[in-house]
Amino acid sequence: MNFSELAENIGLEEDEFVELVELFVETSTSHLERLQSAIDKGNTQQAVEAAHYVKGAAGNLGFTGIYDLSKAIEEKARQNIFEGASEALKAIRDRYDQIVEVLRWKKS
Amino acid sequence: MEEKLNLTILIVDDSSVSVSLLETVLLKEGYQVITANSGPRARKLAVEKRPDLIILDIMMPEEDGFEVITRLKKNARTASIPVVFLTGKDDLEDKLSGFNLGAVDYITKPFQVAEVLARVRLHLKLSIATNSLITSQTNKLRQLEKAQTSMLTTPEQLPKANFSVYYSTFLEAGGDFYDVFQISEDMFGYFVVDVSGHDIATSYITAAIKALLKQNCNPIYQPQESMRMINDVLVEILSDTTYLTACYAKLNRKKKTLTIVNAGHPPVIYLPKKGEPRLIDVDGDILGMFKEVYYGQQDIKVSPGDRFFLYSDGLIEKPALKKVWSECLPEVLEACSNIKDTPTQGLALELACLMIDKTCKPEDDIVVLGVEV
Repeated sequence: MNFSELAENIGLEEDEFVELVELFVETSTSHLERLQSAIDKGNTQQAVEAAHYVKGAAGNLGFTGIYDLSKAIEEKARQNIFEGASEALKAIRDRYDQIVEVLRWKKS
Repeated sequence: MEEKLNLTILIVDDSSVSVSLLETVLLKEGYQVITANSGPRARKLAVEKRPDLIILDIMMPEEDGFEVITRLKKNARTASIPVVFLTGKDDLEDKLSGFNLGAVDYITKPFQVAEVLARVRLHLKLSIATNSLITSQTNKLRQLEKAQTSMLTTPEQLPKANFSVYYSTFLEAGGDFYDVFQISEDMFGYFVVDVSGHDIATSYITAAIKALLKQNCNPIYQPQESMRMINDVLVEILSDTTYLTACYAKLNRKKKTLTIVNAGHPPVIYLPKKGEPRLIDVDGDILGMFKEVYYGQQDIKVSPGDRFFLYSDGLIEKPALKKVWSECLPEVLEACSNIKDTPTQGLALELACLMIDKTCKPEDDIVVLGVEV
């Protein structure tokens, strides 16, 4: 995960990008939890909304893995399909944790 | 002395990451940025701060982007602010709905910063160009001193417009006026105006209107946009006590659509070949009084043989009976259903004869335009 490259792709300085990633990490936590509980309960509306949020934020920052996965969850959930959603969410969390890790390293 | 051009952009998105990203890049370009994370907040800010451009996310909880655009366009204070919306890549439907509601453009998500900046620049330029167009039209009209007199288009001059007209003025400085003009091969415009207030020479106003119609009614502008441009110039050139009501119908014979915009004028009567006459009621503010105005627009599908009428309130008002025009609409509808078989060239006169009470002297100008599709 190369922050300076991602920053350059969107035309930002790295420190500006780091600030946005912090915001992403901060705001996504609750949406990921909402997504988890929506998947567990099979709550279509909530799953679509939470996945949509994560998708949008990740997409704009260039976190393509998280973008693709949350997009898939959103589209499936729209059709009321939750099969594989938990696995996809776990994959999102792995990537999310990596981002948190890089962020911690950048800040130290 | 050059005034510094401060351009303010309002960003509306429920995602704080998207908002911050857009804010960061726009600030860097030297724009002023205000942000909102919900529809109601956005509308409040739009009214208070009058941004030059709004970037609006479609998918938001509670009040979504469509609802926000709809309300912004209905509010005269915010109707003219260009809106660019943010939408998912594959949502063709969303894009079309957005355009129909009055958005000027869209940006697909996830967006590329370079694209956002390019579109923002483009739409700000267009908006500035439109404003300076209004200024230059205003200046030109101020120089227009002597008005030509005989400038009412006759049915013979423009046979393809397929209309008839009844025009009678009560005072020599008549306050009513009409124009019929060709916009493109198959597109025609029909316009009826009623001027209130008598402090400027009406001939000057009619000349000005004629010029404004020529400049602003073209295939590119929607009729509601034309009406707004005309209003913006009239506000500058008319005195404080003068205003106009008007009705503008644009007929596209190829696409068979009739588009109607109304500025505080009695409603158009639509008389389908098969069926009963009905009123086409469209909301809209009077012309030349307010800087911030709203004009609704209605598109109806028409067929060859259908007819419609534009007229001034003199046709239906009965001052002797103390009736205002809105009370007389049932009567005029009935009159219309009686002239179904009248040939086009006799339509306007026939309707006028049916409506005008010969026993009392007319107290107002009367214009009737009868058009056949």
